[in-house]
Amino acid sequence: MAFLEMVDIVKRYPGVLANDHVDLTVERGEIHAVMGENGAGKSTLMAILYGLQAPDEGYVKLDGKTVFFHSPLDAIDHGIGMVHQSFKLFESLTVWENIVYRREPRRGLFIDAAEAKRQVAALAERYGMPVDPNARVGDLPVGVRQRLEILKALYRQARILILDEPTAVLTPNEATALFGVMRALAAGGCSILLVTHKLNEVMAVSDRITVLRDGRVTARMNTAETSPAEIVRAMTGRNVLLTVPKAPTAPGAVRLEIERLTVSDDDRHAVDAVSLSLSEGEILGIAGVAGNGQGELVEAIMGLRPAASGRIVLNGQDITKLPLAARRAAGLSYIAEDRTRTASAAAASAMDNLSLGFHRNPPLAAHGLLNLGAMRGWARGLIAKFGIKIANERVAVGTLSGGNLQKIVIARELAHDAAVLIAEQPTRGVDVGAIEFIHAELLRERDRGHAILLVSAELSEILALADRILVMYEGRVVAALPRAEADEAILGFYMAGGRAEAA
Amino acid sequence: MTARTPAQSPALPPRPSLLPWVSSFLPVLAAIVVGFVVSGLVAYAVGQSPMVMLRELILGAFVGPQFGETVARAVPLVGMTLCAAIPLRAGMVNLGGDGQLVLGGCAAALIALYAPLPDGPRIVAALIGGALVGGAYASLAALGENFAHVPMLISSWLLAYPAKAFCGFLVRTATLRDPVVAWPATYRIASGVRLTPLFEGAPVTEGFLLIAVLAALVIFMDRRSTIGFEIRMRGLNERFARYGGVALDRQTIGVMFASGAIAGLVGAILVLGSQFRFTDNALTAPQYGWSGTLAALLAGGEPVAAVTAGFLFAALQTGGFAMERSVQIPRVLTMVLESVIILFLSMRGAIGRRSQ
Repeated sequence: MAFLEMVDIVKRYPGVLANDHVDLTVERGEIHAVMGENGAGKSTLMAILYGLQAPDEGYVKLDGKTVFFHSPLDAIDHGIGMVHQSFKLFESLTVWENIVYRREPRRGLFIDAAEAKRQVAALAERYGMPVDPNARVGDLPVGVRQRLEILKALYRQARILILDEPTAVLTPNEATALFGVMRALAAGGCSILLVTHKLNEVMAVSDRITVLRDGRVTARMNTAETSPAEIVRAMTGRNVLLTVPKAPTAPGAVRLEIERLTVSDDDRHAVDAVSLSLSEGEILGIAGVAGNGQGELVEAIMGLRPAASGRIVLNGQDITKLPLAARRAAGLSYIAEDRTRTASAAAASAMDNLSLGFHRNPPLAAHGLLNLGAMRGWARGLIAKFGIKIANERVAVGTLSGGNLQKIVIARELAHDAAVLIAEQPTRGVDVGAIEFIHAELLRERDRGHAILLVSAELSEILALADRILVMYEGRVVAALPRAEADEAILGFYMAGGRAEAA
Repeated sequence: MTARTPAQSPALPPRPSLLPWVSSFLPVLAAIVVGFVVSGLVAYAVGQSPMVMLRELILGAFVGPQFGETVARAVPLVGMTLCAAIPLRAGMVNLGGDGQLVLGGCAAALIALYAPLPDGPRIVAALIGGALVGGAYASLAALGENFAHVPMLISSWLLAYPAKAFCGFLVRTATLRDPVVAWPATYRIASGVRLTPLFEGAPVTEGFLLIAVLAALVIFMDRRSTIGFEIRMRGLNERFARYGGVALDRQTIGVMFASGAIAGLVGAILVLGSQFRFTDNALTAPQYGWSGTLAALLAGGEPVAAVTAGFLFAALQTGGFAMERSVQIPRVLTMVLESVIILFLSMRGAIGRRSQ
C-alpha cells in the first residue's frame, strides 16, 4: 500500500476543470516529480494536498487512512511540508526563530531560546544542512534560505515534502547540493514531491514521474525508463523542438554601448563598473544567479533607476540622463522580468495592455485623443499574429495563462521594432510550447538585424540563444566569452563567483 | 487552464469571469438594499415606521421643489466627488479637498469683491481664480510626494488645516471683515457678480451647468483621452504605467492640480451662487468633501459611477432633511444608511474570497 494516495481528485473553478479525476500515489522514501505546463493543474493538486484548497471530489489517504485537511496547519500536523517558490520567512528574525516559529520549546511562559538553538543545530547536523542558528535571515543568500525552509518543514516532522520549482533561484552548484539533500532525505524515509518543468532536474533526481495536462494525468513513468522527449510529449501532447535551430550570426554596427556603469542600491554597488557593447544582429546573454545586479543593470539602462556613474550610449546618443519615455523613443524596448507586476496590468484589457506605449501617437491616437477603433484593430492584429489564446481583446489579461500573458508582453515590445531589445527572463514560468515560440521570435528578431540583450538565470536559455555571454556576479562582469567557448560547467563556475584568473 | 503563474500563491484561483459590468454592479445594488434594510431596522427599533421613512426620504429627495434642492446639493457634492475620484482613478488619494475648497471659495470671494474688472469678467475671473488657487494648493502635496516622499494621503489631509486657518484669519482682519455680520465673513458680493438662478425661484444656478459640463468632460477624458488612459493604467498598476513610459511625477502633479482645481471651483460656485460672501467655516460645515470622498470610494474612482453616487448621496441628504422636518425621523438615519452601504461595499472583497 502506498504511503500517500490522492484518489480521484476533482477541482473545478468557474469555467475551468483544474483537476479532472487525478490520481497520485507516492511511496515512502520516493522522489516523485509532478510535471506539466502552466495551468495543467500541478499547483491546484499541491494546494489540495497542502490543505490550501478543498477538492470538489476525491480524497487523500495517508498511510492507508483517509484524511481531510481544512488548512495548511492540518496538513502540517499530518507531516506534510511545503517549500513555496517565494519563501515564507521573517527576514528580520534569526534562523532559529524562523524554524521554531509556532512550535517554540518553552520554559514556563517564555521561549527557551537555548533549547531552541540546540534543537535547530542538531536538526541541521542530522540532515547535513549546515546553518548558523543565530544568523539573521535577511543576511542569508537564497540557497541558504531555501535550506531553512526545508529545515522548517523537517522541524515540524514532515514526512512528505513538497518542493515547488525549488531550483528557480539557485546556482547550478546550489542545485546540485539541493539534489544531494533531497536524496539523503529520501534515503531517510521522507517522500518528496518535486514540482517543476525542468527536464534535466527531473531526469537527474526523481524516481518516478506523474505528468499532468489540462487537469488530467497523461503519463506515469519510471524515470529510469523514460526520456526527456517522452516527458515533453506527455506534457504538450505533441513533439516539441527542445532547441530551436540557430543560424550563424554576422554582427553589424554597435547599437548599445555601456561604459563603466555603476548603480547604487542603499550603500552598496548593485552594479559595479559594468561595460558592454551590443551590436545589431547579435544576442548578448547575461548569465548569473538572480540577484547579482542583472535586474539593476537593466533598470538603469531603461531609466527606471538612476546611474551613479558611467555612460549609456544608444545608437550614438548619450541616454544616461534621459527619462524612460525618451529612451524608448530613442530605440529601446523591454521585456521585463516580472510580467504580472511590471509588464502588464492584470485588470486591464488586452487592448489596453497592448496599446500602452503606442497610445500617444498615430495611428492609435491623435491630438491627445485615443482612436478606440484603431486600438481595437491594433490589439486584434497582435493577438492574431502571435497566436495569443484569448476570447477577444476586451478580456482582462489577468485571466490568461503565464505563457499567453508573456506573449502579450512580447507582442507589444516587438511591435516597437526598436533597435535594441532587452529581454529579461523572457521564458520564466512559461510552458514548453511557449518557450519554443518565444525563442524562435527572439532569434528572428536577431536575424532581422536587431540587437538583443538577453538576461537569464536559465543557463539552457543563454546557451541556446546567445552569441556572446557575460557572467555577472555581485554586480560585476566576471567573465566574457563567445558562445563557442561556454558550457554549463564553465558558466556555473563563474556564476558561483569563480574569477577568470582562477580558471 | 487555471490561468495562473507559478509565482502566485496557489491559494488564489481566478475570479469568476461573469460579465465584468454585472459583477461590479451587483454588489453595489446589494449594498444599497442592505443599507436600506439596516437603517429601516434601526428606524423600527427607535419606534418609527420603516415604510414611512422610505416614503418620506423619496418624497423629500425627488418630488416637487425638493428635486431642485437635491440638484442644488448635488452641485457641490458631485464636484467634490470628482475631486476625490480623479486621484483615486490613478491610485492616489486627495484627502485635502476641504482645504482646497475653502481656498478656492475665499479667493473667489476676494476677486468678486475687489478685482478692478467689469461684472461679467469678474465672475469669470473669480471662478478661474478659485480653481487655480485650489489646484495650486493641491499640487503642493504632489510636490511633497515627488521630492520628499511625503505620502499624499497624509500631506493632502494635513495641508487642509493651514488652508482653513489662513482663510479664517483673512476674514478676521479689519480690512476684509464685514463688521455688520456677527460671524467672521467678507463683505457681501454685489448682485451683478453672482451666479444667476437657471429657473425662477429654484436654487439651481449656472453653477449646475458648470459642474455638469465638468462631469461630462471628466468622463470623456477618462474614456477617450491619452491622459485619461495613462491615469487609468497607473491606477491599475503603477509599475506598468512607469514601465510603459508614463512620467509619474508629472502625472502626479497634473492629477492633483485637476483635483484641487475642481475643489476650488466648487468653493467659488458656492460663494458666488448661494452664500454671496466667504464666511469662516460655512463651506466646510456641510462636509461636502467627506461625502464626496465616500461617494468616490463607492465608485472605485470610476467617473460615471462616481457622479451617480455623488448624486445619490445628495438625494439621501436632502431626503433626510425633509424627513426630519416632516415626520421627525432623525436625519442621522440617512448617515446610518450611507455608512452601511460603504461598509458592505468594503466587505465585498472578503466575502467573495471566502466563498471560493
